[in-house]
Amino acid sequence: MNHAKKAEIFNKDEAKVNWHDKALWYVREKRDNSAHKVQGWEYLRELGSAIKANVLSNLDEYLIQFETNAQKNGIKVHWASNAEEHNNIINSILEKHNAKKVVKSKSMLTEECHLNPFLEKKGIEVIDTDLGERIVQLAKEPPSHIVLPAIHKKKEEVDVLFQEHLGTKPSQGNPEYLVSEARKHLRNKFLNADVAITGVNFAPADTGGVVVCTNEGNADMGVHLAKVHIACMGIEKIIPKEKHLGVFLRLLARSATGQPITTYSSHFNKPDEGKEMHIVIVDNGRTEQLGREDFRASLHCIRCGACMNTCPIYRRSGGHSYDYAIPGPIGSILSPGKDLKKHSSLPFASTLCGSCSNVCPVKINIHEQLYKWRQVIVKEQKQPIVKKSVLKIAGVVLSKPKLYGFAGKSARFVLKHAPRFMIYNKLNAWGKARDLPEVKNENFDEWYKKRNKNG
Amino acid sequence: MNGTKKEIKMGREAILQSIKKNKPEALPMPIIDESAFYEDIDLLNAFKSNIALVGGTIKEIDVAQIDNELKTIYPKANHIVSATSKSTLGTIPFSKETDPHLFKDIDLAIVEGEIGVSENGAVWVSNTNSLVRALPFITNDLVIILNKSKICIHMLHAYDLIKDRDRDFGVFISGPSKTADIEQCLVVGAHGAMSLTVLLI
Ligand code: SF4
Repeated sequence: MNHAKKAEIFNKDEAKVNWHDKALWYVREKRDNSAHKVQGWEYLRELGSAIKANVLSNLDEYLIQFETNAQKNGIKVHWASNAEEHNNIINSILEKHNAKKVVKSKSMLTEECHLNPFLEKKGIEVIDTDLGERIVQLAKEPPSHIVLPAIHKKKEEVDVLFQEHLGTKPSQGNPEYLVSEARKHLRNKFLNADVAITGVNFAPADTGGVVVCTNEGNADMGVHLAKVHIACMGIEKIIPKEKHLGVFLRLLARSATGQPITTYSSHFNKPDEGKEMHIVIVDNGRTEQLGREDFRASLHCIRCGACMNTCPIYRRSGGHSYDYAIPGPIGSILSPGKDLKKHSSLPFASTLCGSCSNVCPVKINIHEQLYKWRQVIVKEQKQPIVKKSVLKIAGVVLSKPKLYGFAGKSARFVLKHAPRFMIYNKLNAWGKARDLPEVKNENFDEWYKKRNKNG
Repeated sequence: MNGTKKEIKMGREAILQSIKKNKPEALPMPIIDESAFYEDIDLLNAFKSNIALVGGTIKEIDVAQIDNELKTIYPKANHIVSATSKSTLGTIPFSKETDPHLFKDIDLAIVEGEIGVSENGAVWVSNTNSLVRALPFITNDLVIILNKSKICIHMLHAYDLIKDRDRDFGVFISGPSKTADIEQCLVVGAHGAMSLTVLLI
């Protein structure tokens, strides 16, 4: 099913779509406020981008340096060419320790590698411990956003899920009650886990350690209680120096949620005494993407989610419509490199407004890459894989790039000036018979504040 | 096991080869001009307001007053772990060998922080400070004692200050644990500490 079809399904619940749209726009506004407070923000983005470009141009050397330093500190380093190798390595570590219970903190990579179903088939209990991820795990769904995994779920749905799985009392979706119950439930899991798996946000080559950022403290609760820590990272998580964290940690949380930094930025450099620490370095298509000059910069991504929050299409189509581990604009430029045929509709799930590129903390030219993927797809794919209707819309946009797409300085500009038919067209499932989302919604702020107070 | 080991080796060589083949021409590592981030601000005030912003509490007090202050803030705390000589309130003796699982029901942990960052209210706590790595996370409430002369302007400066440490485990903590995963409603107290108090001395 292509993106537009899936988006149509998401759009069946109009009230929910409106909420989703506004909630994410609100996160985008928080990002703006937070970024504007930082002296030299644009320079910081330039640095982020330039450091990542340097990393990619010297990635093999940095990886070797990283490995040497990690090993010096007693960390075991593994390399996996693809998802299968990644999963097998993890399984062999678990087998060695006879581990049956695993707690996992957020890792889009393990999602990409479908680690959970792989381990579950082997009789291993894998518990996602980030609250949003736990919610979608209980619902047997994939995350719909890389930072806000359960953003597509209403609190009443969470209430019902928790009643069913955690035995909670009906609370009409009281967030404080639900969070406190989840805390109890997951504490128990942390205390009994054999192995903790985490993702990696940054891996400085000069220290050979890994840095993991969370707000909930779930990565640390897992790692410090279990006897084995396995950290999984894509090759592009490398940064040259620890000092560069001073650039990336300033960018990450502000771009993601508008916080000045995540609650916890944990630096794992050595296994704790009597414990083991493993790092699995994964390729899984990344080196191939590295070779594609036009799309290389997509590997700069630090997974902040800002491009999703700002994207008018993502906000009104939901993460599941992308049908890829990483949804939204960044997912739409990463996924065609993995499977051009399967994901051929994704580069068309965009108005090319450029808002994603404008907010990206590492300055990935996302909208230009979307445009370039379209050219590749139109050339390589036969109809009807690329739906005529989608192409028609794309055609209109592409024929006047100056007018619509690349002229866009910001989402506001584009939403204000883009022709209605482009975003809200009969052929276009994202906006069928719908008014433009309010560009700035004062009511939402008030409504949100009220809702926070009432819990 | 042998088979697995061989595969792992292949993974490594294959990845490095593929990078060599696909990477672009060398691009320079940028030199960071930190003067671009300079701001003439009151570090202490900015630090205080950022701690409040991230949901923490902050108080300036005299070292001699720490115990009294904590008794007032946490009158109900029974199971207390103190990893600092600046407080005598600890009720649970421990060492760095203590199994962290034994801390599962503690009410309060008191640790020292090494540096504070004014731009985001974060405090650096290493395992030298907490002895047991899990301590600042597993406790119900967390108190960090910080010398106010140790506040720096931003993260780049912070990394200069911790660069010569013995690298083991360390964490920047900014506020209590929190989540907004249910409908974007901010709830303080996720898996880590439910509250954070920073005592500036
Ligand atoms: S592409 Fe940029 S904006 Fe999007 S998630 Fe990655 S870093 Fe963030």
